[in-house]
Amino acid sequence: MTADLDYYAILGIPRSASVEDIRRAYREAALRLHPDKNPGEEAAELFLQVNKAYELLSDSEQRSAYDQQLLAMEMELASKASFRSRVIQSRKRLLQLDEPQVHYLLLDIEPSQDLPEFRPPINLSIVMDRSTSMRGQRLDQLRSAVLKILQAMGEGDSTSIIAFSDRAELIVSPDQSREMSVARARLSLLQAGGGTEIGKGLEMGMEELQRNFSKEGVNHLILLTDGRTYGDEEMCIAMADRASEQGVIVHAVGIGSDWSDRLLDDLATRSGGSVAFLETPKSIMEVMDRIYAGMGRTVASRVRLGGSIAQQVDLRSAFRLLPEPMPMGDSLPMALGHLPREGIIRLLLEVVIHPIGPMRELTLAHFTIDGDVLGREADSVALPLDVRIPVSNEPDPDPPPEEITSALSLISLYRLQEKARHEAELGQSAQAARRLENLATQLLAGGERELARAALSEADRLAQSRRLSTEGEKILKYGTRALLLPARTGEP
Amino acid sequence: MIECPSCKHQEFVGTLYCSECGTRLVHTSPFPAMGSDPDWVDLDAATSEGGTGRGLELESGAALGLRVLATGDMVSLVGRDNYTLGRGGSGQAIVPDVDLDHYGAQDQGISRLHAEIRIVESGVHIVDLDSVNGTLVNGERLEPQSPRLLGHKDMIQLGRLRLQLISKYRGQ
Repeated sequence: MTADLDYYAILGIPRSASVEDIRRAYREAALRLHPDKNPGEEAAELFLQVNKAYELLSDSEQRSAYDQQLLAMEMELASKASFRSRVIQSRKRLLQLDEPQVHYLLLDIEPSQDLPEFRPPINLSIVMDRSTSMRGQRLDQLRSAVLKILQAMGEGDSTSIIAFSDRAELIVSPDQSREMSVARARLSLLQAGGGTEIGKGLEMGMEELQRNFSKEGVNHLILLTDGRTYGDEEMCIAMADRASEQGVIVHAVGIGSDWSDRLLDDLATRSGGSVAFLETPKSIMEVMDRIYAGMGRTVASRVRLGGSIAQQVDLRSAFRLLPEPMPMGDSLPMALGHLPREGIIRLLLEVVIHPIGPMRELTLAHFTIDGDVLGREADSVALPLDVRIPVSNEPDPDPPPEEITSALSLISLYRLQEKARHEAELGQSAQAARRLENLATQLLAGGERELARAALSEADRLAQSRRLSTEGEKILKYGTRALLLPARTGEP
Repeated sequence: MIECPSCKHQEFVGTLYCSECGTRLVHTSPFPAMGSDPDWVDLDAATSEGGTGRGLELESGAALGLRVLATGDMVSLVGRDNYTLGRGGSGQAIVPDVDLDHYGAQDQGISRLHAEIRIVESGVHIVDLDSVNGTLVNGERLEPQSPRLLGHKDMIQLGRLRLQLISKYRGQ
């Protein structure tokens, strides 16, 4: 028997649960998860775990042995862990209710203090679009931004530049990148022309990154494009998954209004990367600089939130607030990207709690936080994190913590924009327009005049043409997302 | 479920922002709406009694008032920024803006100046004015003189008289 699974967390009960608590939690779980009611592999897997948990915990001898193992393991892990964490909850206690309730968790992840002072080696692939639409200013600006990054590269770093249209080509290899004159000459020969097939570019970028993979450093891929990929979305997704598995973080930069923001968001989310939207190519340099600077300041890469969530609890959504605001997936494990040296990773999780019976305390989740601490020989140790909350008949009289409400107020604007877009696509343009007007009102109240104007002009457009503009969609999406940037909210 | 005061969308208990319109659901965290909604108020049928002499609705369609639970009467809170609530009666120097005398204020243990409703930008607040028997919101006793934010359907108790705040928009 090993303590690799937290059976208490699976049943959503405290370690102090009575035999009766265990039986009740098991009965509720078994009823809800029974294969007759819940076909599907995930439910079946959970059903098995719940059964195993009950079997083990209802036997007092087995249980006490398991308790000891669990405790010993967690103490050891916490003392060795490379990370520290802090959780703030929207309420101090849950209501005992026979209907679902929503709860929010704000999770901060910090490096523990004794992490090495170390500038990690950077292994980078820049995968750039050279399709016809990139001709002129876009390609020129991109070229100078790339050259600037090459100049900033250090001894132990490795960079490759890949350009793609209908096919991918290695323009500057890691060896060539160390000779500036060669790199400059190679880049100046680069001409725009052809279609956009992102998948091939990503594939070659991944090959280069794998060849020079740095376990003690950071491995990033930056994709720059101004167009939609044709018919190879699946390959793109597969490449993003491969990146995530292998510890490569994917960033995407979309230029202009004709690229697929959904695809790029999806690609970046899978590895905990980020997406930037540039209305004009002028700010390419700035964005590339920011991404590059972030790489050098990384203290841990490939940070992941894993573990298990109680069977009474569903993760409805997750949003990373820091270091870069980004919606995350809704399942564990979740790739969170890199942890900056002077900073934190901050996540806001929204969970739905199914009706809960009489119990004193609910263990919402048993998370684990792991990642690769850079510059350290030993493998890093995952930090276990139990999130518990008392359950009561009395509502929590205190207002929710400011950190949660201020972040949520902005996330709710982002969600409004998403909803309006979804409705517009379903042809419900009147509803979408009304929602955008709502959004504009809230933006105005927050002093975001420009964004409010954009929302109103899209609402007008909906009334006239029943469609949103591709540009407006992106301005609203990345504009509302950017409201969460630390500079705006005054957070660390 | 709880209801968004602004757009009526139903959300799970504990939700902090309406997913439909983005309104902050400040007041809603503690209490779920009750089942089939016995608290539904027909604005057209609701009469305005109790002293303010105005309708419930603003031109914008917003309605703000207090419902006296025992009788179902509505007391309008439209037109001014603050209302004192209390027990009037003859020969009294200080007269409350909303005289609860005809709801049996004396028997219900309501002070002459019992509480005050303040309507400010951030919302509708209630302040207990050092009343003898105290003011409760959703069963929780207020500190005297310290304003408490109210939301749609919040239950207010002055002495033993129970009132409910109605604050909503029509037609959305």
